[in-house]
Amino acid sequence: MSQEEKMQFWGYERPDGTVGVRNYLAIVGAGNTAHHMAVQIAREVKGAVPLLLDEALLRLKEDRDRARRTVVGLGHNPNLAAVLLVGFGGGHMDPIDLAQEIVGTKKPIEVATVLDSKGFSPAIEKGLSAARHLMGKISRMQRQPVSIGHLTLGVKCGGSAGNSGLLGNVVVGRAVDTLLANGGSTIFSETPEVIGAEHLLAKRAVNDQVAQRVREVVERMEIRIRQAGEDIRGSQPTDGNLKGGLTTLEEKSLGALAKTGTGPLAGVLEYAERPSGRGLFFMDGPAGPINIMVGEAAAGAQIFTYSLGGGLYSAFRNLPGWGIGGFPVGPTISVVSNASNPRDEEEQRFFDIHCQGVLDNRESIDQVASRFLQELLEVASGKLSKAEIALPHYWVPLESYHTGPIL
Amino acid sequence: MAKAIMINARDNTATLLGEAQAGERVSVVRESGEVVQEITARQSISVGHKIALGEIREGERVFKYGETIGVTTRTIQKGEHVHVHNVVSAVFPGRPIPSRQGTS
Repeated sequence: MSQEEKMQFWGYERPDGTVGVRNYLAIVGAGNTAHHMAVQIAREVKGAVPLLLDEALLRLKEDRDRARRTVVGLGHNPNLAAVLLVGFGGGHMDPIDLAQEIVGTKKPIEVATVLDSKGFSPAIEKGLSAARHLMGKISRMQRQPVSIGHLTLGVKCGGSAGNSGLLGNVVVGRAVDTLLANGGSTIFSETPEVIGAEHLLAKRAVNDQVAQRVREVVERMEIRIRQAGEDIRGSQPTDGNLKGGLTTLEEKSLGALAKTGTGPLAGVLEYAERPSGRGLFFMDGPAGPINIMVGEAAAGAQIFTYSLGGGLYSAFRNLPGWGIGGFPVGPTISVVSNASNPRDEEEQRFFDIHCQGVLDNRESIDQVASRFLQELLEVASGKLSKAEIALPHYWVPLESYHTGPIL
Repeated sequence: MAKAIMINARDNTATLLGEAQAGERVSVVRESGEVVQEITARQSISVGHKIALGEIREGERVFKYGETIGVTTRTIQKGEHVHVHNVVSAVFPGRPIPSRQGTS
């Protein structure tokens, strides 16, 4: 195999030039009525995926705008071969309006609303018929070999303790470097983790404007936290981190940043904002894995990696909704730095890449890094990740990111 | 023999991949698996904790990932445990004291 062939995967080419690693029909609904509609329709159509989003109706403008950007961004995600938008109709999340904003992707889009169908049951009937039609259309699509440069990887780490962040995050960071060198992109988030360590991130910015944006986004979150009467600056590292060998905030933050590789920071994104170019991007966002993945997916990430550390039972590291399980927009590759302590054989069921071999003298980090890159290409080409197999459904509302009060 | 990993050529610390007893020899490896150094641990050092690869004088910077992770509060000998008792953050010099179990 030539170097060029090695850096390819089999993906679904979309009319707008993007490439999907999955070929989903998404039934997208924002708000409670829409959730019921999306689930009822998805249940009846094999392979349909309901995306249940927050309409942020009783929130202030900033949150409403962000919620809308999230739905529109997810609609653009190339893993969604076709989109059926459902809902009551009208309002700031009018499915017809949303469809207009996604239509530029030239992917098949249909709409079913209670308002237009003059009732809930007729709207479900219309949605079902549209979903069956769309599924027939997209199930014929074929994968083609494409460059790894089409990939946007969404990264997140969790359970950081001791040397755990060191192994898994370094392995992921290596793949990020390869991806960027081939014209691909990577998005990472978790603003709270950067508070106090913004200088380390700003140092990697491509220019002064990007460095300034890093400081602004971090300061903005800090101000919000202070307005709520709390001061978290200086609260890191946690007692658990200290016990695990992390000495300072800088060390913890650098460990987390290791998953972003060594490349320059090309830009800073608002939550769910789609980047205009390629490269490494930092996205404003909260600490929850699902919240982060939703924002990264709305920004265009087709594939995700969650690198886990700590000596927890694997069950704690894999609860559906807590982390990786069954995220409906794209596959997640789970990387775990060390075997569970006490040993839990179940973890073979959840984790794709184990770094324990480095601890046991069986492997070097370089070797695990090549295994990870290989896995990334295979999962992008259609191989199901462990989380996709073990937890196939995530039929609960997707948490996103709100910063203002509820009205 | 215990193993410790040195992530960047600039680092003056390595991170233990297995517990080292006081007086035990520690093999320092790079990411390729190549052994670059062998040192003797001066105290017992737990997994995930750092060992000094050489003498680090008082007030000098401590490196891991090729970056500064803090400043020493006293001279650290080669093979010594590097942690909150001899290093402080350059951002928040107020030293945190471990008190209870936590993870995140």
